[in-house]
Amino acid sequence: MHHDRGTDCQETLRDVARYLDGELDPTLHVRVEEHLIGCSPCMHRAEFRRQLKILVSRKCTQSQVPAAVEGRILRMIRELDRAE
Amino acid sequence: MAQTAAAEDPALRDRFERDVLPMLPSLYGAALRMTRNPADAEDLVQDTYLRAFRGFASFREGTNLKAWLYRILTNSFINTYRKRQREPQTVEGPDDLDEWYLFDRLGARSVEGSAEDQVLEQLPDDEVKGALESLPENFRLPVLLADVEGFSYKEIAEIMDTPIGTVMSRLHRGRKALEKALWDTAKERGLV
Repeated sequence: MHHDRGTDCQETLRDVARYLDGELDPTLHVRVEEHLIGCSPCMHRAEFRRQLKILVSRKCTQSQVPAAVEGRILRMIRELDRAE
Repeated sequence: MAQTAAAEDPALRDRFERDVLPMLPSLYGAALRMTRNPADAEDLVQDTYLRAFRGFASFREGTNLKAWLYRILTNSFINTYRKRQREPQTVEGPDDLDEWYLFDRLGARSVEGSAEDQVLEQLPDDEVKGALESLPENFRLPVLLADVEGFSYKEIAEIMDTPIGTVMSRLHRGRKALEKALWDTAKERGLV
């Protein structure tokens, strides 16, 4: 095991959320990525977080708007058009 | 008058209908997660479209339309509906939660070979929405904007009119709170 693996893991896990959010500067991004490729426990955690983010996004995304709501918005815009 | 521009200029009005109307499902969904009830969400989204229509002349084409609309939505929510709902403004966060709250709990009971997130996959959409809605507002908004709507930290800071450092710390704490809420929900449903 690499002598500073412990510190590397700690730093990687600290940065992993910002890594998944695409918010790390390019140097740090590559460093996290390289660590993950070589360290399966960290990769496992990072993958869990990635999947969790995808799951929350997919399950909380609204695809349907009630027809009545859509109708109200459309009518409002057309009325504004005439009124203003 | 600037506020009548969208109505007086047919090109601007057409552009509003073409670019802003298709955002309705996304804005309505966010409004639902913010207000946590369909009646307020409908009012909020209608108010947002009214403000957007009136301010559309001042929106510069080519800049970030989605962020501009979410800023109007968020402002409107904070200024109007939040007061109406009298939600307690919790500033305390779940600071004491473990960094890997959900991973550690799911991992501890996971069946050999099954990924931790497969358990959560079994949760119905409404329950995941409910878990998100259970977060206090100042944690719910950054999580909603980052994880559901896909905005960057910088965009969220602009939408919420909050320093980026505050966004990052609330997002971090909000996600931990969401992990706990998801765990509690999975437990109630007997999935774990």
